[in-house]
Amino acid sequence: MCFTSNFWSLTIDGLNNGFLYALIALGYTLVYGVLQLINFAHSEVFMSGAFGGLFLTQALVGTGNPTGWTAGGYVAVGTLMGAVVGAIVAFLLERVAYRPLRRRHAPRLAFLITAIGASYFLFSLAGHLFGRDAYGVPDLLSHKSLFSIGSRNIQEYDLLVAGSAIAMLFILDRIVAHTRLGQGIRAVAQDAETASLLGVNIDRVISQTFIIGGLLGGAAGFLFGIGSSVGYTMGFVPGLKAFTAAVLGGIGNIRGAVLGGLALGLVENWGVTCVRNSWRDVIAFGILVLVLMFRPTGLLGERLGRSA
Amino acid sequence: MDTKHVVRAALPIAVGAVLLAGCGGSSSGGGGGGSSSGKTFTIGYQGPLSGGNAALGINMNNGVKLAVQQANDAKTLPYTLKVLSADDQGSADGSPPAAQKEIGDSSVIAVVGPAFSGASDAAGKIYGQANLLMATPSATLPALTDEGFPTFYRAVADDFAQGPPDADYLVKVAGKKKIFLIDDTTDYGKGLASAFKGEVAKAGGSIAGSDSAPQTSTCVPGATGSTSQYPSEASKVKGSGADAVFYAGYYCDFGLLAKAIRNAGYTGQLMSGDGSYDSHYISGAGAKNAEGTLLSCQCSDIASNPKGGDFITAYKSAFGQDPGAYSAEAYDVTNAIIGVLKGLGGSPTRAAVVSAFGSVDYQGLTKEITFGADHNLKVQTAFLYKVVSGKLKYLGDLTSLTK
Repeated sequence: MCFTSNFWSLTIDGLNNGFLYALIALGYTLVYGVLQLINFAHSEVFMSGAFGGLFLTQALVGTGNPTGWTAGGYVAVGTLMGAVVGAIVAFLLERVAYRPLRRRHAPRLAFLITAIGASYFLFSLAGHLFGRDAYGVPDLLSHKSLFSIGSRNIQEYDLLVAGSAIAMLFILDRIVAHTRLGQGIRAVAQDAETASLLGVNIDRVISQTFIIGGLLGGAAGFLFGIGSSVGYTMGFVPGLKAFTAAVLGGIGNIRGAVLGGLALGLVENWGVTCVRNSWRDVIAFGILVLVLMFRPTGLLGERLGRSA
Repeated sequence: MDTKHVVRAALPIAVGAVLLAGCGGSSSGGGGGGSSSGKTFTIGYQGPLSGGNAALGINMNNGVKLAVQQANDAKTLPYTLKVLSADDQGSADGSPPAAQKEIGDSSVIAVVGPAFSGASDAAGKIYGQANLLMATPSATLPALTDEGFPTFYRAVADDFAQGPPDADYLVKVAGKKKIFLIDDTTDYGKGLASAFKGEVAKAGGSIAGSDSAPQTSTCVPGATGSTSQYPSEASKVKGSGADAVFYAGYYCDFGLLAKAIRNAGYTGQLMSGDGSYDSHYISGAGAKNAEGTLLSCQCSDIASNPKGGDFITAYKSAFGQDPGAYSAEAYDVTNAIIGVLKGLGGSPTRAAVVSAFGSVDYQGLTKEITFGADHNLKVQTAFLYKVVSGKLKYLGDLTSLTK
């Protein structure tokens, strides 16, 4: 039947998507935690990271055709570059677009409009700078089957996405739970005013939160680009999906974002097994509406502070 | 403290720079070569000039510009012609504003385009009300000429010249009996898919599965599909046991699909129609993944056309690159319009152009442009190409290939 013949294929693809959604969703959820702001420009942080990794790997590969460890190394530095560029863009975004608003105690709506404006600004700028074509990332991974689960052959890309996502998620979880920065993030999320009275430098914590979100989003951008392509509007749909994942898991909740990302990736992929692919979003968002109907705060509930 | 001031100063400057850049970018390309004295009239062009499928639109825009420039240089007409290009991003949503841009400029007496089927459908009424000729060099959705758009002429064969022979070729000649059919949910994609599907059974093949995968936002700004849909599409294709995949859609998404399908280890034949006939398909999919793909097109191969030499040279010197898919077709349509203008004296009107264009008989580089009562070409042909060593190779015309 439609479901059984490709179950494992769809599951693995769903997990790939889900891990990437989770990485992006963390950017939304972390920023929401400290600012109560849905940073819609985060999808452009994702796009910038993809371009960063793309240009670096293109420069490294040149006209050559690297294989083996060299190619693997290029993928690693490309991902790192994606993370760094994502972090820089996210940092600048906060400094230029949001901090002045915060200083002037602008109303919520001003933040939201600024976020949407910043998103348009960034992707239009990318369209001008990099052109409006879709670019392919140099083909650095082998497409050989390493082993198989069910009928699905597992390739380097699958391991790359799952491995790097799990590593990043684990490190993030440790940072938030055990470091001074993590304490700061949790404190600001719980009560910014009290946190500042107790000596937490709010500006710095917010800046660092954007940087962390940017690192994860930018790396996800490049990993996403390897699987498909890189273009100036590439952030739009994945960004929206990741935002959905964050809400699904409970906005502001770190583990919720991861769970929401994986759930969304799996559900939308499973959902299309028996129907046409054009139903994908109908299914994904239908489930979101259902979940929110019964659990308005998402699967794991809101609140960053409590989760870690 | 200094950094704060720098940032505060930088924001308005950056915004200003982008606004200026925006202004520079949106002023449409003139025809070039025109003298400033005397009367001028304008030939419009509507197609995608931005977005993931812009390459096709720019190919055509250049063809229009070249024809106009040559007419001006040769002083073919008693006035100077200009070109007004309107960007519809290849989408139905972007089409009405682009059409309004053409209609709003009273010097525009004819429009080449819209390039894409969905955009043509969305603009047909508007152009009709303005009594402004819309002669498309490339919109192949069969239903367009059934809509009764009064000023719409299709100077290209429709998908019935392409879809059914594609099925014949795939099943009878290439011997692929079980076919997986995917459309991109656009008017064009659905039209081509249904034209193709009807012929598969007649040719002795079967549809092993079919799907609709919406265009992705990476390829078409504002589209709702995500590139993450293609791995699951590949799973479906593999699970269906099909010998071949036929994709009815445009090159940007087909590139992503082909990449995902090959990454999933599927080795069957890939085939698509004229929307995917562009070298950007090969670069998007990766040359390795695109190798062996069959592409049909109502556009003839200008490089292997004995009459194409002068055109290719002129195109290269004007734009610094080889003509792409539909460049020569757009050039032909523009020249057909210019030929009509010749007979209309010094002050042509929109109405006069429309009524004269219906009875045009112009022998272009690619084909003879002459219309039947249904505003379709009298003679319809499509051609077949294959990706060989990362390049599009001409195989021949489908009528003789499927005999």
